[in-house]
Amino acid sequence: MEIAIRVQDLTKRYPNVLAVDHINFEVHKGEFFGFLGPNGAGKTTTINILTGVAKATSGAASIMGYDLSREPVKAKEHIGVVPDTSNLYDEMTAWDNIVFCAKLHGVSKEKRENRSNELLELVGLHERRNDRVGTYSKGMKKRLMIAAALVHEPEILFLDEPTTGLDVQGAREVRGLIRELNRKGTTVFLTTHYLEEADLCCQRIAIIAKGKIITEDTPEKLKLSIQAEQVIEVSFDRTMDVADKLKRLSNVTNVVTLGDKFRLSVADSSETLASIFDFAKVHSLKVVSINTLKPTLEDAFVKLTGLRLEVMSIEKEQMKPNRG
Amino acid sequence: MVKAWIEDLKRAAYIAEKDMKVYFLKGPNLIFGLILPISLFLSFSIGRSVDPAFAVPGLVAIASFFGAGAIQAIALPLERRTGTFNLLLSAPISLFAIVLGKALAGFFFGAILSVAYTIIMIPFSPLPNIPLFFLGILFSSFTFSSFGLLLSAPFRDIPQAMPPATVVRIVLVFICGVFVPLTALPLLLQVLAYAMPLTYSVDSLRQAMSGSINTQMFLIDLGAQVLFSVFFLAVTVWALKKTTQ
Repeated sequence: MEIAIRVQDLTKRYPNVLAVDHINFEVHKGEFFGFLGPNGAGKTTTINILTGVAKATSGAASIMGYDLSREPVKAKEHIGVVPDTSNLYDEMTAWDNIVFCAKLHGVSKEKRENRSNELLELVGLHERRNDRVGTYSKGMKKRLMIAAALVHEPEILFLDEPTTGLDVQGAREVRGLIRELNRKGTTVFLTTHYLEEADLCCQRIAIIAKGKIITEDTPEKLKLSIQAEQVIEVSFDRTMDVADKLKRLSNVTNVVTLGDKFRLSVADSSETLASIFDFAKVHSLKVVSINTLKPTLEDAFVKLTGLRLEVMSIEKEQMKPNRG
Repeated sequence: MVKAWIEDLKRAAYIAEKDMKVYFLKGPNLIFGLILPISLFLSFSIGRSVDPAFAVPGLVAIASFFGAGAIQAIALPLERRTGTFNLLLSAPISLFAIVLGKALAGFFFGAILSVAYTIIMIPFSPLPNIPLFFLGILFSSFTFSSFGLLLSAPFRDIPQAMPPATVVRIVLVFICGVFVPLTALPLLLQVLAYAMPLTYSVDSLRQAMSGSINTQMFLIDLGAQVLFSVFFLAVTVWALKKTTQ
């Protein structure tokens, strides 16, 4: 499979902090890759290096085969960037901003106008194209940034926390737009501290904490990797004395009662499922619902990083005083 | 290779066009670029018998000096603070071309102001050699724009960038022969004056206005400004690499 982004032993050291610590990963062409970690973990620093905004202290990175330190201009021809905060000019209109981005990327005069019109339609801002960007809401700015990043039809789209600060509807729209772009073949590199977002969108995830990559895999495999025991949740039409009886089933190691449900820790869920139906028949019980529970990405994150889940909800504004 | 350079130059021109659109009418730009030079000139000239052929080139030079530099003290620090500079850094364009684009925006602002002041002053002081005077304005404006970039490169905010740049410029106005002839200055200040681009700008404009051109001296004035520009742009690129990345 063709490699779109290759990162080898990449390190970024600021005077007082090691922001990125010898990280390695590859992103395949057409892939939706998530870079997951709490704020301050090194996500933005990594994206800054990969987009030419910052220089690595050591290590190498390439975009579509072009080394970022030796051929930065060639490498940057293939990328579109949506940073975490607006990089557009508040004093200019949406139209002027998007046309300026097209010019910077060498889009021909004939194509510029068509493409700008198309993209402004796509992100739902065509009606407001002649308004100054300074008058836009956060969500509108974010959508315009996505349009501006796509104006030269990049093969790789870097998105740094694209839904942070958006309301639920705005975040859903942005996610939908990004997924659609990926479906059409754009390689997406997404940094996020929203676990649900990474789980919903990404084909593969790297988890970064304190500048180091802890693990890298598909969301499902990450969840499975921490699955030491399987859990079945079942409810019957009656609850009286059922918990004690369930404990006697073979394969069941523990039973927890949660309201009208029983959560069974089992060694093998497929064998136990059959036993539960036999159990219901023997005790004249009716099974109301039965589910096998899988660990969530949150469970995987907590187990793999050793961090508390709350660190993921600390927003950047709160991090600023501590950052180098 | 040549094609890549041409593309870089084209994109530098787009950055200049954008900077003109965004920053030309900003308040600090108008105050420091338009009002400060004329205030300095009037405070020095009113009540004194100053030869217009000596004073007017000085006014035009400082209009270019403050005008071309003012936009740099706004655009570069502001863009670095707000993050819009990162839009340029992540585009397929060299850092030198970004800096060149910004220098071109200041160049146009300085040149427009200088030409405006020249036209206003023509009734007071005739202009015997118009082409050379305008050539002097063009070279001066580019040099001062590059100088402005150099002065603002270490900063990430307008309030940080503006005061030191203004102080440096005002000091230079008094030692580079704008109001006082160089020969009237102590030797040490004369040596310092020849290390400053404003001295060569004032001299070239004064020659063009007086009508008696010393070709060799005029070419030295222009050549010195070219060397200053290259030096200022190179140091700005170096400083931005150091502080941005």
